[in-house]
Amino acid sequence: MLKSKTFVKKTRSGGVMKIVREHYLRDDIWCGSEVCTECKQESTALQRDPCMESNLCSYPHYVIPDTNVVLHQIDVLEDQVIRNVIILQTVLAEVRHRSAPIYKRLKDIVHEKEKNFYTFTNEHHRETFIEREPGESANDRNDRAIRVAAKWYSEHLKKSESDTDPLKVVLLTNDQGNKQKAEESGLLVYKCEEYIKSLIGNPELVDRLALSNDDKNDITSSKVLFPEHLPLSRIQAGLKNGTFLQGTFRASRDNYLEATVFVQGEGEESTEVLIQGLQNLNRSVYQDVVAVQLLPRDQWVVPSSVVLQDEGAAKDDNEEEGEEEKELRVSAAEAARKPTGRVVGIIKRNWRPFCGMLNASIIKESTRHLFTPADRRIPRIRIETRQADALAGQRIMVAIDGWPKHSRYPNGHFVRTLGSAGDKETEQQVLLLEHDVPHQAFSQAVLSFLPTMPWEITPEVMVNREDLRSLIVCSVDPPGCTDIDDALHCRELDNGNLEVGVHIADVSHFIRPGNAMDKEAANRGTTVYLCGKRIDMVPELLSSNLCSLRSNVERLAFSCIWEINHEAEILKTRFTKSVIKSKASLTYAEAQMRIDDTTQTDDITKNLRGLNKLAKILKKHRILKGALTLSSLEVRFHIDSETHDPIDLQTKELMETNSMVEEFMLLANISVAQKIFDEFPDCAMLRKHPAPPPSNYDILLKAAKSKAVEIHTDSAKALADSLDVARVDGFPYFNTLLRILATRCMMQAVYFCSGMDSDFHHYGLASPIYTHFTSPIRRYADIIVHRLLAVAIAADKTYPDLMDKQKQSALSNNLNYRHKMSQYAQRASVAFHTQLFFKSRGILNEEGFVLFVRKNAIIVLIPKFGLEGTVFFDSKNKAAPNVVFDEEGPSLTVEQHTFHMFDRVMVTISLDASNIQHQKIRMSLIEPVIPGVSVSAPEVEPLAKKPRLDR
Amino acid sequence: MATVQVSEAEKVYILHGIRDDLRVDGRGCEDYRHMEIETDVVSNTDGSAKVTLGDTAVLVGVKADIGKPRPKVPNEGYVEFFVDCSANATPEFEGRGGEELGTELSNTLYKVFNNKHSVDLKSLCISAGEHCWVLYVDVLLLQCDGNLYDAISVAIKAALFNTKIPRVHISADEEGGKEIELSDDPYDCVRLNVENVPCIVTLCKVGHRHVVDATLQEKACSVASLIISVTHKGTITCTRKVGGGSLDPESIFEMTEAGKRVGKALHAPLMKLLQQEESLGKARQKVGFLG
Repeated sequence: MLKSKTFVKKTRSGGVMKIVREHYLRDDIWCGSEVCTECKQESTALQRDPCMESNLCSYPHYVIPDTNVVLHQIDVLEDQVIRNVIILQTVLAEVRHRSAPIYKRLKDIVHEKEKNFYTFTNEHHRETFIEREPGESANDRNDRAIRVAAKWYSEHLKKSESDTDPLKVVLLTNDQGNKQKAEESGLLVYKCEEYIKSLIGNPELVDRLALSNDDKNDITSSKVLFPEHLPLSRIQAGLKNGTFLQGTFRASRDNYLEATVFVQGEGEESTEVLIQGLQNLNRSVYQDVVAVQLLPRDQWVVPSSVVLQDEGAAKDDNEEEGEEEKELRVSAAEAARKPTGRVVGIIKRNWRPFCGMLNASIIKESTRHLFTPADRRIPRIRIETRQADALAGQRIMVAIDGWPKHSRYPNGHFVRTLGSAGDKETEQQVLLLEHDVPHQAFSQAVLSFLPTMPWEITPEVMVNREDLRSLIVCSVDPPGCTDIDDALHCRELDNGNLEVGVHIADVSHFIRPGNAMDKEAANRGTTVYLCGKRIDMVPELLSSNLCSLRSNVERLAFSCIWEINHEAEILKTRFTKSVIKSKASLTYAEAQMRIDDTTQTDDITKNLRGLNKLAKILKKHRILKGALTLSSLEVRFHIDSETHDPIDLQTKELMETNSMVEEFMLLANISVAQKIFDEFPDCAMLRKHPAPPPSNYDILLKAAKSKAVEIHTDSAKALADSLDVARVDGFPYFNTLLRILATRCMMQAVYFCSGMDSDFHHYGLASPIYTHFTSPIRRYADIIVHRLLAVAIAADKTYPDLMDKQKQSALSNNLNYRHKMSQYAQRASVAFHTQLFFKSRGILNEEGFVLFVRKNAIIVLIPKFGLEGTVFFDSKNKAAPNVVFDEEGPSLTVEQHTFHMFDRVMVTISLDASNIQHQKIRMSLIEPVIPGVSVSAPEVEPLAKKPRLDR
Repeated sequence: MATVQVSEAEKVYILHGIRDDLRVDGRGCEDYRHMEIETDVVSNTDGSAKVTLGDTAVLVGVKADIGKPRPKVPNEGYVEFFVDCSANATPEFEGRGGEELGTELSNTLYKVFNNKHSVDLKSLCISAGEHCWVLYVDVLLLQCDGNLYDAISVAIKAALFNTKIPRVHISADEEGGKEIELSDDPYDCVRLNVENVPCIVTLCKVGHRHVVDATLQEKACSVASLIISVTHKGTITCTRKVGGGSLDPESIFEMTEAGKRVGKALHAPLMKLLQQEESLGKARQKVGFLG
């Protein structure tokens, strides 16, 4: 039967188009139930006796949710308890239209066999199709379609009734009008909340219910806390005429009452608008796209340097927030003021489920609790749960449902638990989730592109490939490294010059463009190294075996070979795909020992000595050109082999061989960058490091000045030179501190596509062009560079995406994002292990240096552990000491003592486990002694007595 | 135009018949042939109608689109005509054969219909000087068996009656920028007032008398014909002489009077019929082109 659907649409040019679609109805759409004898279906999804223990519907029944139930309660539907559900096509289509992620989740549920979900194409069924009637809105029509389908089901199932109880269908809807109409037509209909609450067997499901509008009323007082958000049409008009600005909302980590909105301008012009105070933040959550309105110039403020955390019991909605906000307002010089604004509307929410912990309410019986996300930039969320006791101490995920204007906190609902807090597995998962690191096991589709084992080198592989198996190649890596992606060789040529080769694992040979493995690797972007765990970018077979240039096995490589004279001048460069057979896999320490041990004269050692000599010259050249030597403290944990708990911690030591390998990698990267840029000026993937704006150096200059040292920041060279001479007598650590500080002034290095940018300079390395070529196992950018280089030397074929600068550019953006996130995850992992370490070590007294001075705190660096911590001077339970902050110094005067940057202090370090929400390292001042502020040095417990931490 | 060969004897027979008010097919001089009308036959137009008159068949579709009003009449919309002489109708239309006739027909239709006395053009205005509805009236000749004008005019009137123009709202923001918003309800539309839309009556001078709705044979016997467009009140909105011969003033007067009479009588049953069909709504069995 043919029907037609008609609707009118506005075209882009402003015209009006009438669109008519033919719509065919069928009589062979089956109901999908096992009970049915009428339908000639091949397989059924809905079970004969669906058992859902409900005290509202004690009979066997199927459930039909309406669109809004699916949209809001998808978390509940995903639960294993909810089975035998009929998803109508009308619902599916509406969900698809309204929310793509929820649609995907719904599709996933439907595909899951055990869930017994059935999609009924009611829109094409002869008996359930309805046409829109005059005066009926699209929503009303859909509601009616759902009711008609539900009615059809209940009648249909009655017909095919067997000897057992008749099956019924239950319609779930939260719409009062719809419910009433359904009841009138004799359907079984319940509100979603009613129904879920009636599932007596599974009370925990209630927690996963999202709060719907009518529930909110009783939660909050009627007082309006926030200004209303403007409707989208007004926002758009405002954006058009320039009264509003659109930008991404970035909450401050340190201060929950402050945020910036990053407004992307045209070209390079992008500005940041400061937002201060709850009212002005107006319910924005980190990463939302918001519209802001600039305040008049006289209301502009400076970013406060107060560290402020939203802590403690739930604040009453009515409570005046004034006090904390008042602290923020400081009179400041006109020049220091930043453009300040207020959020007038939300353009796009970017809510995702957040990891964190429950902050149980003080009242025991209460079902409303606050949830504290692990990410400090996310506000606390109010959720409703009856299992607060069970959830205490657990890491859980919570999704935000909404933020009404009269509520201090957003409302949300519980999604799932990740495990108990402090547990290593759980914590690791939390930080992977929080940093958006894809960490699932590789899918079957990805694994299907792996080469079959046993793998060997075939003649086809040898086409376009040089046989370098005879060369004395060796690799130098950190201990325990299984993904070796680089190896080196050095030999003397007949003409007296040296031939140096850098051999990089030929990953692009195994990962072909466009297949599932390639796409997965491109999405992951980088391998993430956590303490004691590695999240691979490519499957392990490749990363630790076939691509890893292990000793004494034949491996495919991409080689970069130079002819170099003894002054380390490059005479010739060539690139080739090759086969190598590494003679030794050394650690940095082993390599160093061989070089230093004069008795050893084997080929490998000679090789290493030659390389080392050249590397020293190369480094000197580089530093002369103005490359920066910066410093950041990296720590290494000694991990207990059985419990995998950290037992000791030391800062990483750098040896000559580290810099030897680094030097040749830099050389290879620069050579390759030049080659691919010459060959493909429009689509080479390069890496740049922009020079920081001069204002970034302010803090460094001030700090240096306070110690009467002068730092020049006009150029990288000036900076490097002035850092080299910056010394203070009797303070050997000063130089390192300065370098740490200088590192923080730097910009982030980024990947980019050469066709999209004109500034290629790498500031830190003082190189006009740079890329990443040397670690294709753990970085996707290198794979792209390999492919480009292979095409350039005619060793491989090209493909369209490789030459498309738009796609390259989009890829670089993803890689930059993943790279950044992996660094954050790494840091978070170190921080967590540091906590574990201090948990096991108890209280320690250590020497540290003041790294930054804040308005109410100092940030102290403990060089021994590479640990940074904050010492607060105003704690809530004590009378605040007299604190004076001087921005120019910068210095902070507490009572009589004045703290400057780089001051030496003694602190006691302990793990603050009192607040299970966020365990943190607590530092308190021991020296200098300030009465009422510092504490007396506690006894340090001997290590041996301390039992290993409980797991 | 399709022509038929008529022999002298046939001519005399037809002439004598008409003189005695009896035509070859048994009609009187002011009678129409059997006429069939069906509206809403093309679903992707905003209004359509199919009319058969004897063996003449025409299909009219109306599309409404948003355009800019003509500068001289900023508060009125306008109507445009296009006549497609399909080679289906007669093999003579093949290639560009029908172009001349098509242009002639559409020019005439433009004169007859595109004025505010025939169609309520003011109601087509959306915002004065900026937006208005433009009605594109496409006429497709399916079969020619004489008296095209009358059949087309009836079909146009029926199609305009059937036309549903989507309702639009103009939302103005504070800055005065205007945005046209469409209603998302397909039933939410405006109907045109077709009361004043005229019908064309073609009178053929055959011998000393004149006939309406001439067949091709009668046409072959005629020297000239007069096209008269008449509204339901009997107001003549347009007259035009077609054909090679000449008409004396007296017979023009007579023919005009007759046209007025016939035209006036044509409107009432047409409107009744259209309203009847409309009232059936969805329950109406569609006939379409094969029925």
